[in-house]
Amino acid sequence: MIRQPAGVSLSSLINPENIIFLDGKPSKEEAVRLLTEKILPRVSALISRKALFDRVAEVEKLNPVLESGFYIPHAKFPELDGFHAVLGILPEGFADPVTGLKVKAALLLLSPHKPAFFQRHLNILSLLSQTFQPELIEKLAALKDPAAVCSLITGK
Amino acid sequence: MVVNPKYKQVFVLSTAMLSFISFWKASAIVLCDFGSSAFYSGGIAMRAFGPAFPWFILGVMLFSGVMLGVYTESCIMFTRGGLYIVVREAMGKVMAKLSVSALLLDYTLTGPISSVAAGLYLGGLFDNILPLLHINWQVPSRAFAVIFALAVTGYFWRENIKGVEESADNNLKIVSFVAVVAVILIVWSGFTLYHRGFTLPPFTPVFTDEALGWTVHFPWLKAVGLVGIMMAFGHSVLALSGLETLAQVYREIEDPKIENLKKTVVIIFIFSILFTGLLTFISALIIPSDLIAGKYAENLLSGLALELHGPYWARLFMQMAVVLSGVLMLVGAVNTSFVGANGVLNRVADDGILHDWFRHLHKKYGTTHRLVNIIAITQILIILISRGDIYLLGQAYAFGVMWSLTFDTLSMIILRFKKRDEEREWMFPINIKAGNVYVPVGLFAILLVLLTATGLNMLTKKIATIGGVLFTTTFFTIFHISEKMNEKKAQLYAEDDESDEKMNLRREADISSVLPELTKDRCILVPVRNPNNLVHLASVLETVEDENTNIIVLSAKITSGIQIGGGEAMSDEDKDVFSAVVLLAEKYGKTVKPIFVFSNNPFYSMAQVAQAAGADEIVMGVSGSTGAEVQMERLAMAWGMLKKPDAPAKHVLARVVWEGRQMTYQLS
Repeated sequence: MIRQPAGVSLSSLINPENIIFLDGKPSKEEAVRLLTEKILPRVSALISRKALFDRVAEVEKLNPVLESGFYIPHAKFPELDGFHAVLGILPEGFADPVTGLKVKAALLLLSPHKPAFFQRHLNILSLLSQTFQPELIEKLAALKDPAAVCSLITGK
Repeated sequence: MVVNPKYKQVFVLSTAMLSFISFWKASAIVLCDFGSSAFYSGGIAMRAFGPAFPWFILGVMLFSGVMLGVYTESCIMFTRGGLYIVVREAMGKVMAKLSVSALLLDYTLTGPISSVAAGLYLGGLFDNILPLLHINWQVPSRAFAVIFALAVTGYFWRENIKGVEESADNNLKIVSFVAVVAVILIVWSGFTLYHRGFTLPPFTPVFTDEALGWTVHFPWLKAVGLVGIMMAFGHSVLALSGLETLAQVYREIEDPKIENLKKTVVIIFIFSILFTGLLTFISALIIPSDLIAGKYAENLLSGLALELHGPYWARLFMQMAVVLSGVLMLVGAVNTSFVGANGVLNRVADDGILHDWFRHLHKKYGTTHRLVNIIAITQILIILISRGDIYLLGQAYAFGVMWSLTFDTLSMIILRFKKRDEEREWMFPINIKAGNVYVPVGLFAILLVLLTATGLNMLTKKIATIGGVLFTTTFFTIFHISEKMNEKKAQLYAEDDESDEKMNLRREADISSVLPELTKDRCILVPVRNPNNLVHLASVLETVEDENTNIIVLSAKITSGIQIGGGEAMSDEDKDVFSAVVLLAEKYGKTVKPIFVFSNNPFYSMAQVAQAAGADEIVMGVSGSTGAEVQMERLAMAWGMLKKPDAPAKHVLARVVWEGRQMTYQLS
């Protein structure tokens, strides 16, 4: 069982409502766009659609795919006061054009761009990287139900 | 399964050069060379200008304090300095080549004069002991000295080819033993003088024709008054040999570097006054002049032991102790001459004025064996040519010593004007501030003394002048031709097939083989990439305690793929990073463990090495392309990805440091 850093829990970040299955073979950009569409309603009161898509597209170029095949596009917004995430499961996956790594799970993370939240932001990135190891990703890719995905990740 | 990106290759810079020593050990290394002249300088000076010699040896030892001051200022200015660097900075490469050629004569002759002196002391002891054992062997002392000197030189030739490092621990033991023997000698001498009374030696030197050299052809140049004093000073100055070792050893002195350098200098000065100066003086008070000139001319301190007041058996034991201490110290000086000459030549080679042929590393031992061979062969030839005549060796020796000191002092004066804006943490005293220049009145006075003594030495010591000029010219020519060849090579952009071998590197398949070498309580990982951006490393070196903290300096080169065994080599740029790291570590006198890895991701390398080594802290420099926040994010992701679920809970502080600022994050 992975020990979770103080102030960070996967169950508060990932629930069945923010898990989507991206069937087919979307490209990396398409996958990120779909995840952004999914998260937009939760932050639209604070961030405009354009600002969100522009910023995510910008960081998408900066954020590398992890060696484990897990991808965490993440962006920070000064308007936010909490963390928001959407997990995309890609049963067929896409090949990262930079590394060639096969990506079957991607999580879009939006964090507050405030000094008080930076430590937690980093803890979340670290915890996600630790959790989403290749074996788990393969198991997740085989699932069809968001609740089952959530349960496998959080152990609840 | 936890993803575990592997390194293709791990290069570890040999740590031998990056371990730092206390001021006691630094003093011992210098004294093994500098102090060893006590065993022969008195006898040589006596032969040159008679019974006045102890005044001048004592005077030279007092003058050593002044020269130690000059070296202190130059060491502080150039951590990895020495005569070559100092002269190059002050007067350019041509003069630097000339000065280092003279210095090489000093180092090269240190071996033969020390080994022959040790042989003469041993021979003198055997002359006393063998009859007591009813062994009636008559071994001519000089023949024995030559055989012994050849054996010692051969031994250290082999050892230096094998790359056995000069051991500061051994030097400290030797100097400690010598100090104990010296104290006993001084106390016993005091008792003897109290019992017998004494007469002070005359102050006026009386030169032999041989010691006057070419000055006999200049009737106006009388060896009296101040000229006579300077001539006698020149004949005694060989006792100053070994000061350059201070410049060589400074880079190894531990933090706080300048304070420890000052302590080292004080210890060397006190030891030299008491050991070389006082014992030589006491010898002249106790031993009759005719015995100094005859029986004990080549083993003065043995003579002192044998002429003390007391039973013969006790004096013989004292002689044994003196000879043992002398042999240990003198033999240590032979090794110092190999290490010093090799070090100076390597320093010169770093600057491109020695052809790569000379720098070829031994296939098995990784040492610059061709340089060691040249040093050894030259020393053996000198021993054979001298035929064990310590006076002859002493005459030649002074040439290199005098010119080295003169070049160093002149350079320090020039640097006062040339580098007038450079802040100096210590300056040789007696300065007059004029604008932004500290006019070095004290240094000018020293230079005047040195130039006078050097000029007179050139006239009085025929062999030294002829031999010295020949030797210096030969090495200067070798340096000059090498430099021209290297320049042509650089213009052709020729590939250097052996560039890999120039740095003292060890290749490992995996980081785990390095971990047992990290024995201290704490561990800090400092990733580096740009040799011009090491502010973060400097901040770590400035603040950490060397005794309880390992500092791993990690340089990762990005290569695609993650398979092992790619056989990659380090580029010149990679080596530049290592060189900058080593220089900085030397500046602060703190030990670092530089590690170079080939990796597919620098942050994975950091995380993996830090987790494997159990690092308490990771200190990064800021990246101009991504910025500190992105660096932290990538490290956090790499850290999490590589972290084993069962890993013990440990908080690791990650810091990004740049000029005047830092960002911290607690990895967990």
